[in-house]
Amino acid sequence: MLEPDNIRKDFPVFREHPDLIYFDNAATTQKPQVVIDAITEFYTHFNANIHRGVYDIAAKATERYEAVRGKVANFIGAPSAKNIVYTSGTTASINLVAQSFLGAQLKAGDEVIISQMEHHANLIPWQMICKAKGATLKVMPIDREGAIDLGTLRVSLSKRTKLIALTHVSNTFGRINPIREVIKIAHQKNIPVLVDGAQSVAHFDIDVSDLDADFFVFSGHKLFGPTGIGILYAKEEHLNAMQPIVFGGDMIKNVSFEKSSFLSAPQCFEAGTTNIAGVIGLGAAIDYLSQYDKKEIKAYLKELREYALSRLQEIKGFSLVGSEEHSSAIISFVIDGVHPHDIATILGAHQIAIRAGNHCTQPLMDFLELPGTSRMSFSIYNLKSEVDRAIEIMQEIHDLMFGA
Amino acid sequence: MTDQLKALYQSVILHHNKEPVGYEKRPEAGMIIEAYNPICGDRFNLYLNIVEGQLEDIHFHGFGCAISKASTSILIKHLKGKSIEEVKQLVAAYFKTVNGEAEDAPEDFAAFAAAKAFPGRMKCATLSWDELNEYLKSVS
Repeated sequence: MLEPDNIRKDFPVFREHPDLIYFDNAATTQKPQVVIDAITEFYTHFNANIHRGVYDIAAKATERYEAVRGKVANFIGAPSAKNIVYTSGTTASINLVAQSFLGAQLKAGDEVIISQMEHHANLIPWQMICKAKGATLKVMPIDREGAIDLGTLRVSLSKRTKLIALTHVSNTFGRINPIREVIKIAHQKNIPVLVDGAQSVAHFDIDVSDLDADFFVFSGHKLFGPTGIGILYAKEEHLNAMQPIVFGGDMIKNVSFEKSSFLSAPQCFEAGTTNIAGVIGLGAAIDYLSQYDKKEIKAYLKELREYALSRLQEIKGFSLVGSEEHSSAIISFVIDGVHPHDIATILGAHQIAIRAGNHCTQPLMDFLELPGTSRMSFSIYNLKSEVDRAIEIMQEIHDLMFGA
Repeated sequence: MTDQLKALYQSVILHHNKEPVGYEKRPEAGMIIEAYNPICGDRFNLYLNIVEGQLEDIHFHGFGCAISKASTSILIKHLKGKSIEEVKQLVAAYFKTVNGEAEDAPEDFAAFAAAKAFPGRMKCATLSWDELNEYLKSVS
């Protein structure tokens, strides 16, 4: 069994702010001491640039940096460390695939398919490359509970479809997408699929090989790691088909004024000095997370979500946005007559951190005909007593806004 | 509820949120200004009729939080019927008041100074005023 009371003790932010109730984990998670220590250790004991120096600490930095690649591969079930590209985050990973993988092959009249619930980061990179190449961005519709229609998807695929990009879990309302089925359907027509794992990787057991995902992308900071480090997993055949788009040091084989040749993947996608401390922090975060059973994490967060949902029903005017089931540890909601930002401000003044707004999904908000929602997102250090405290404050909101 | 919250959600703001002044669509207006905050999705249209240097008529409609809606309502209440010169003076006075700089301004402007304690909410207090101000700069 997961012990959230003990897990909290690993996160110094809760020691510094004993009253903080942090329900904004879909935006970023808090950092355990071991991650902070790993970054400090790097800068204190073996800070050096990688892949170049022949002295001891440079060798150690390189070794630790490359070791994390294997750790990430193992963590998500990738066949090899060679399938793992370090990026600055989910957004950069998606942009890299859009520009490098699609940029090379997309032609006028081709199509890229995304869903209606995508984060702007899994929308705009495709929109821009489609625009540049005269291709079409098609949108898989969803129903009001966030379900995509696999039948519609099946018939919308054609020879022109060059890629499907889909989020594993909606950042806005937590809907879990049937990515295994989507990948199966797509592969029947040899269409590659990119899975945005930003919201799933901290809670779900991910096995990209078993899923047969072509691309899987995520950010370190949503699984207790530092900001500014992310991962692109890609199948070897796809990496081989991709050309580098950022050029400079640490990605070249031979350089002359006439021409240059490049290293093979993944190094050719990591030009310049990368976020070495971020990689080492990510490695520590994966070690930290790996001590817990993902099944137990999932079960606990499900229990917490169900508890919060049942208590939220007590709030006057509450309605859930999305689905009661098929959802991860995110609750998106509206309260009739009270703007999401007023709710977030009032909770914030009581040290309860939630998010309000459109959650970087404007087209989804347009579809739902909502200007925004309030969003609570949970992690392994959240407690039922924290939910109770939030409910207590929310019960006062109505009186504050409309008079008792 | 904390004192800062009480200061922010005081009666003048709650009243204007519930019963906003001039809250109706006027698509036939001479000038329509959109006040939109992409971060939170708040969106108001300001409908203006300016005749011979006078703001003869002004209405608004849209969606926003209590702070942004009330601040727009106050804008309508104070600016309707004023000359453009007076409008500019009132807009300047509003910004000074919201920034906490003492100013000889209408009393209900002061309610929005409380937004300063909530850095994330300052824009709510100035959204419509900022857009109107931009427009005034573009026409003068």
